[in-house]
Amino acid sequence: MKTRISVKNMAKPDRQLATLEPSELMPLPPPYDEPRPIGELSDEQKARYETSLDGVVAVGVRKPQSPAEEEAFCRSFLSGLKKLLTKENNWTFLQPLMHSLDYCVKCQLCSDSCPAYLASGKKEIYRPTFRPEVLRRIINKYLKKEGGLLRKLTGSDIELNFTLLARLEELAHRCTLCRRCAQVCPLGVDNALISREIRKLFSQEMGIAARELHELGTMQQLKVGSSTGITPKALANIIAFMEDDIEEKTGRRIKIPVDKEGADALLVHNAGEFLAWPENPEAFAILFDAMGIDWTLSSDLVGYDAVNYGIWYDDVQAARVAVRHAEAARRLKVKKIYVGECGHAHKALLVIADRILTGDLNIPRESFLPMMEQFVTSGKAKLDPSRNNFPVTLHDPCNMVRLMGVVEPQRKILRAVCPDFREMTPHGVENYCCGGGSGFAIMQSMNFPDWRNAVSGRMKMKQIIEAFADTPDPGVKKYVCAPCSNCKGLLRDLIVYHRAWEKSGIYYGGLVELVVNAMADMKKPYIDWEWH
Amino acid sequence: MSIFLAILTYFGYVFVVTMYTVKAVKYLRRPRHLRWDLYPVMHEERYRYGGSYYEDIGGAAGARKKHRLRGILFLLKEYVTMGEYFKRRKTYWLALYPWHVGFMLIIAFHIFTFFAAVVMLAGVPVSAGSPFAAGRIFYYVVLFMGVVSFASGIVGSIGVAVKRLTASDLRDYATPQNYFTYAFCLAVFLSGFYAWYFVDPTFSEYRQFWVGLITWKPIMVAPAATLHIVLFDLFLIYLPFTRSMHYITRIFAFLFIRWDDEPNLRGSRLESRLMSQLGQKVTWGAAHIKSGGTWADQVAEQNGGAP
Repeated sequence: MKTRISVKNMAKPDRQLATLEPSELMPLPPPYDEPRPIGELSDEQKARYETSLDGVVAVGVRKPQSPAEEEAFCRSFLSGLKKLLTKENNWTFLQPLMHSLDYCVKCQLCSDSCPAYLASGKKEIYRPTFRPEVLRRIINKYLKKEGGLLRKLTGSDIELNFTLLARLEELAHRCTLCRRCAQVCPLGVDNALISREIRKLFSQEMGIAARELHELGTMQQLKVGSSTGITPKALANIIAFMEDDIEEKTGRRIKIPVDKEGADALLVHNAGEFLAWPENPEAFAILFDAMGIDWTLSSDLVGYDAVNYGIWYDDVQAARVAVRHAEAARRLKVKKIYVGECGHAHKALLVIADRILTGDLNIPRESFLPMMEQFVTSGKAKLDPSRNNFPVTLHDPCNMVRLMGVVEPQRKILRAVCPDFREMTPHGVENYCCGGGSGFAIMQSMNFPDWRNAVSGRMKMKQIIEAFADTPDPGVKKYVCAPCSNCKGLLRDLIVYHRAWEKSGIYYGGLVELVVNAMADMKKPYIDWEWH
Repeated sequence: MSIFLAILTYFGYVFVVTMYTVKAVKYLRRPRHLRWDLYPVMHEERYRYGGSYYEDIGGAAGARKKHRLRGILFLLKEYVTMGEYFKRRKTYWLALYPWHVGFMLIIAFHIFTFFAAVVMLAGVPVSAGSPFAAGRIFYYVVLFMGVVSFASGIVGSIGVAVKRLTASDLRDYATPQNYFTYAFCLAVFLSGFYAWYFVDPTFSEYRQFWVGLITWKPIMVAPAATLHIVLFDLFLIYLPFTRSMHYITRIFAFLFIRWDDEPNLRGSRLESRLMSQLGQKVTWGAAHIKSGGTWADQVAEQNGGAP
């Protein structure tokens, strides 16, 4: 018989809190039902990092080498926790954080809305209320300093030690911040925000963060211009390649404008597109050319990479990146910024940065989607939807849909260009995260990709399989449309991990590629169905 | 005893109102946070599917109509039905709903009893046979609310305790204070029910007690009624130390967090407030942050604060 895990267990280093047996995971329909174990960590990794949460490492918190080091670690955490609860250091999220800390009644209504919790076979540690409860108890005992009787009454007995805190930081990286849990809470509590605030405390006070988000993410972006490592010089080469590629595909030479001062709009892409899916920014160039838009890319540091990983773990880094984006637009004297197919960049630049950018940095910022919808549905575009005569389903990026309400434009476009478009269930603002949200799509630490593919992305995989259940034949090619780079990255991994291309002919890609593929004057198909 | 009862009652009401007010003011005076919208936003035109003004070209800058009333009605409906619980966890709803009905009606019961006492002081007898319609209405409304509140509260208090104890996901997160609260509630509702059934079946004595409070001529009431009044007063004093403010803060959370989609327009009051907040000093300790500088200083740092 298995012992139930409770919040108190978090501080007890005696054993691993959760074991992810493949047979216990949420089942997938055949032929996706074969169990696949999550990779074991090496002894060296186990010796170096705290791995006893679930045997998976996303961040990799190094174990202290002495009791003094452990004490300093705990002191630093408490110092950060105090700051997290002050208006000077955390004006950015104090009100929502305090609401969620103070008013959760632990009714567990949110549990069944969490895809990671469900996909894991309902592992207790992944329950949306679990990690907030750990933080709440630490606050009650060590900050509010509740005395013995009161502490017993409020159930705040918890020991502060390295094991507890390192597990808590890892646990904050088992939540994709999709906020489905918050959506169903009748009291307005947001447990996902607490995951984010835990990450923030570790980053802003202790300098501990997932390497892909901080060192290789925001730090690299601010230093060399992009979290991909693309420098302005490399960008010039990529753009030259894209122009050649467009010419090869369309027979037309389209000049991609870069640093065009006074253009109407600056278009910012997730720079991952340039490297992994250049057909996406190329499709934008083809469409903008067809629409006659006066646009430009920027070659300024940060100005050519729309990503802002700061929104997932660090307010200071988020603000720095957002300001660099706005500065790039200001320098070019553009009238507005369009954000391309990147969900979190939409939310970061349009929503989060809205209360960071002031004065002349507050340049109008828009999603590309309404303008693209207008083009596709106005009749100005010469489209032949029969060219997309294959099953298409739409993945809703959480950041773009549930978290900022851009729901219909992408659907209107798909209805216009894809005769066999079908929705997933559920969809729209009730969608499930791809499993790569909050940075998971780019985090490659140790065995974390296994966890991501097997657990956080499992619900999305199930939805995709079900959306195409009527045509299981792998000979019928199917397209999962994801208007978001990070979601695409995760879908690519999921399709490979589950061998969905071989088993069912499931492919993935962006939205604008489908529009270009449907353009009547294209001499050959734009979508090549080739893996990259 | 009658003086003690009167003072305790006054104190209970003043205390709960003061504490709730202090908590509400503290909540509302927290700084204007970064946006953290969650859709659907009920005051938006496209609330049915969760759309926002970002679906329009130039939507953030354009004038738009906010349907505030729809949002308020949505929140009020949830009070009345607790629909999310009904939809997602019916067995829990079966206990929670009567418990909350007990709370809402016991508050309404006291408010109406107060006004019934005021009406009585104005010379209108409150009884089933009152010659005045107001007197008859107050009689039946107070009677209905009191009885339903006590009965519903008893069922609910037992129900939520049983549910907490029997459902492992609730039990594992329950605190001793949860069970204390359930027991306390049960005592309040049970004592009220007992006093009504055995001592004061028309609440006439309780109305007289309120007349005495208003005129500051406190009267003695039967021991069972006294017990209920003491328990209810203590309960009022206890409430601010629980999560009961969620009745009010859930409205704040929806209006000022989940549905806060106000765009920051140049030259707006919001912008000047944000600029002042960006001028606050930051003391975070990580190496990439310049501790002691303002938020604006942090943002101006090149290279992400790297040395």
